[in-house]
Amino acid sequence: MNVEMMKQVLNAEALSAAAPFLALTVGILLLLLVEILPGTATLRPLVFLGTLAAAFGYAWQQANGPELRVFAETYVANSTTGWWAILFIIATLVAWLFARKFYREEARFEGEHDVLLLSAAAGMVLMAGSRDLLVFFVGLELLSVPLYTLSGFQRAKRTSIEAGLKYFVLGAFAAAMYLFGAALVYAGTGTLTLSSMDAADLSKSITIAGGALIAASLFFKISVFPFHLWVPDVYQGAPAPVTTFMATGTKAAAFAFLLPMAVLLPSDAAVLLAAIAVATMALGNLGALVQTDLKRLLAYSGISHAGTMLLAVAAQVSGGASAASVSNAILYYMAAYVFTAGGAFGLVTAMESRTGAPVTIESLKGLAQRQPLWAATFALFALSLGGIPATGGFLGKYLVFSTAVQADMIGWAIAGVLMSVVALGYYLRLIVAMYMQEAAKDATHGEGSRPWANAMAVVCAVGVLVLGVLPGWFMDHMK
Amino acid sequence: MDSLLTLTTLVVLPLVGALLVALTPKAATQLQRLITLLTTVVVGVIGVLLYLRFDGTSAAAQFTQTTPWFTLPGGIAVHWRLGLDGLSVLMVGLTAVLGPIVVLSTWGHIEHRVKEFMIWLLVMQTGMLGVFLSLDLVLFYVFWETSLVPLYFMLGIWGGDRRLYATIKFFLYTLAGSLVMLIAVIWLIQQSGSTDLSYLVNYGGQLPVDQQLWLFSAFALAFSIKVPLMPFHTWLPDAHTEAPTSGSVILAGVLLKMGTYGLLRFCIAMFPGAALVASPWMMALGTLGIVYGAFLAMAQTDIKRLVACSSVSHLGYVVLGLFALTEAGVRGGVLQMVNHGLSTGLLFLLVGMIYERRHTRALDQYGGIASVMPLYAIFFVFAVLSSVALPGLNGFVGEYLILLGTFQASSTMAAIAVTGVIFGAVYLLVATRKMLFGPVTNAANKHLPDLNAREISLMLPVVVLCVWIGVQPNWFMDRMSGSLDDLQTRLTRARSEAKSAMAEPATLPAFLAPQETAR
Repeated sequence: MNVEMMKQVLNAEALSAAAPFLALTVGILLLLLVEILPGTATLRPLVFLGTLAAAFGYAWQQANGPELRVFAETYVANSTTGWWAILFIIATLVAWLFARKFYREEARFEGEHDVLLLSAAAGMVLMAGSRDLLVFFVGLELLSVPLYTLSGFQRAKRTSIEAGLKYFVLGAFAAAMYLFGAALVYAGTGTLTLSSMDAADLSKSITIAGGALIAASLFFKISVFPFHLWVPDVYQGAPAPVTTFMATGTKAAAFAFLLPMAVLLPSDAAVLLAAIAVATMALGNLGALVQTDLKRLLAYSGISHAGTMLLAVAAQVSGGASAASVSNAILYYMAAYVFTAGGAFGLVTAMESRTGAPVTIESLKGLAQRQPLWAATFALFALSLGGIPATGGFLGKYLVFSTAVQADMIGWAIAGVLMSVVALGYYLRLIVAMYMQEAAKDATHGEGSRPWANAMAVVCAVGVLVLGVLPGWFMDHMK
Repeated sequence: MDSLLTLTTLVVLPLVGALLVALTPKAATQLQRLITLLTTVVVGVIGVLLYLRFDGTSAAAQFTQTTPWFTLPGGIAVHWRLGLDGLSVLMVGLTAVLGPIVVLSTWGHIEHRVKEFMIWLLVMQTGMLGVFLSLDLVLFYVFWETSLVPLYFMLGIWGGDRRLYATIKFFLYTLAGSLVMLIAVIWLIQQSGSTDLSYLVNYGGQLPVDQQLWLFSAFALAFSIKVPLMPFHTWLPDAHTEAPTSGSVILAGVLLKMGTYGLLRFCIAMFPGAALVASPWMMALGTLGIVYGAFLAMAQTDIKRLVACSSVSHLGYVVLGLFALTEAGVRGGVLQMVNHGLSTGLLFLLVGMIYERRHTRALDQYGGIASVMPLYAIFFVFAVLSSVALPGLNGFVGEYLILLGTFQASSTMAAIAVTGVIFGAVYLLVATRKMLFGPVTNAANKHLPDLNAREISLMLPVVVLCVWIGVQPNWFMDRMSGSLDDLQTRLTRARSEAKSAMAEPATLPAFLAPQETAR
């Protein structure tokens, strides 16, 4: 590559488009430096938060700035990618804050933990902005490899190692599927950049087969049927802060790319997608209904939420709903989900960190008496996950289902919306345990004060309520 | 002062009260009760003042307040839009008046976790007032569904032995209906491009009848479950029986009326074409509910469950009257909503008071209470007479109008429904005899204290209202005359359209060709 080409590619526009990603990368390097230099360990949180703040600033600029298409149209920066980046940063922050004082034996590796977390965040930002199958793959791996490591971060725990291994094997399988799909798409269209694919080439069966494989590998990441089986095991086994991060961040990043890559899918696929979506909701909710372990329960609930959002993707693929309205709906849904699921998983983290024993519905009993703040916020998160109005979850649900109605998929929409009844069945059970049942004598979960967890729970609760009661502010910003 | 006399104050004030209660220390239960009582009294006063200033001759919404809330994708603006009209004015008055009564009743039976209870009670009031006052479809839905949450907590924490079963059943049942309605709400908003109910009420009437029927069914499902109409009623006896007294009073007094109110405002007023088609079916369900509810009540041995089942029967009358679609029927139906709230509310209060003394609801545990608690007996007999529609009391006016209106629409239905009046008298009077009269057979009942001043004073306003409605019903019904006349105009128009449509050759139903009708 000669100097002229370098100049063409690396102009100011390109730099500003990649700024959130670059900020995170610089942060990773700084964190590594802090690890090496003696006597600087206290700087670590500062560097971490500073990095997130810088990335947030750049992402905010993008969210309110013009659309930039850079690096030969393989990467875009517009308000949507800006908002996605903001969500990823919030998800990272929530996971990181809930991870404070969580690790004990592994505490001396916290530097690595933070570096890996930032790498994953950088990967997510790259995924959301990429409009090229290969650039996306780099982002995907940058997200996945740190997550494999993080899942197995508690090396002393068998379940954690098991989670890491399981995630790795299945993740590698999904990556292979992705690459195979990308190869097929390349064979069909002669390019990997989404914007330069011809409409004629898109209808070739080889391209469709490639698109299907790519979609399947993304389904693995967003955890929809039939690629959801790893989720409960990995979510349960992985350290709780990592689970928090996976549940909110990974899913969001995969959806951020699923929307632009949906051009690879023919409109006939809409019915199939809708069927998958409703099957996912059904399996997720029915699966959650019988769980007693909270992490598993929330994992299954996460599966059903992925199904709900997939219904909006189906509406887009069918051509009945505009790409903008679907993207807004999913962005809103995901924003609410980051706060709700982030808060819920975070509280599970906080409860778990005292004893290290898994949190079950049984151990939630009487929480309202022991920890009124946690119980109240957890109840709010449960209601928001169930889509009760005045919470962010309701408006997300409203927007997603309105895309389905727009695309005349009313039958699917009704089937999907009725799944919420099943979902409330287990969300209400959580509230029943916390508020309406007495604690067992030896209940220990949730004792003692944890100022970080309290603060984060309040922040997430405020996020959920603001998204539910004052949605205008957010909606007017995403265009 | 006038600037505070608004509907927004009415809706928001209970929330402010809830916030104040939340800030009090946990042990200050008397303070919490006092704040709650004061808040509900102020809400009650504002409600009554607005009721007095309401102009019943006009069909337009009054005291309207509109503030932009947010914009849905597609540029559809959602508003915080409140207004009072003839369909809602009686319901709002009832909710406002029952507020302090419910709070006063909690002195007797809410002993633990008082603070939380008071918060939920106030939140509940905001939710109920919001449902009746919203003139924006999204806002209505938000209030409609959030109002489930407070009752869920009230039932689940302070309820009886089977409270967890009852509360989850109540929540899921009502939610299922609401969610189907949500899809209809989304569809309606997308088609019309508006969430303003005063626009939608005209828009809905202009839709082709088969589309109206789809929407009607979705809305009617949600409201019928709430009412509850006959096949959807099974959650009600459980919820009523397990609820604490104050929860039962709210449930019977106001919450169930949200269903009948919805039927009136949405199913009938917005989709008159569909209402005409569905009228015989809904009337049949109403009649079935009257008779079936009465038989259910006769078989009960638990006094609270008996009153709960009588609710099914009484609400059958309301639905019957509304869907007779005649002037008298609708008037009677709306009035009967208030009547049922008052008399059944009173019955639940009385059942609660005796339960607080004896801690049993089994009918066979009682007998001869009248000789031990004469004041109690007077109130109880009054409540029963009001419930069985004794002429001179409120129930008579409502039931008479409903039966008159039904007779104009279908004499068969009227004939069947009228048996419900007899059955109603049978089960209530039999229960009264078993409970109040005869010798005191149970030693535990020998020294029960009679009603105290608090209990009497909280029931007196209800008693006064029962007599007032019975003697001077027009003072109440005039308030809704403008809106109900407007409703009849819509129905007449729909009838003439249906007639002219029958004259035309049959065409392909619009919903089979969604492309043409979609936008």
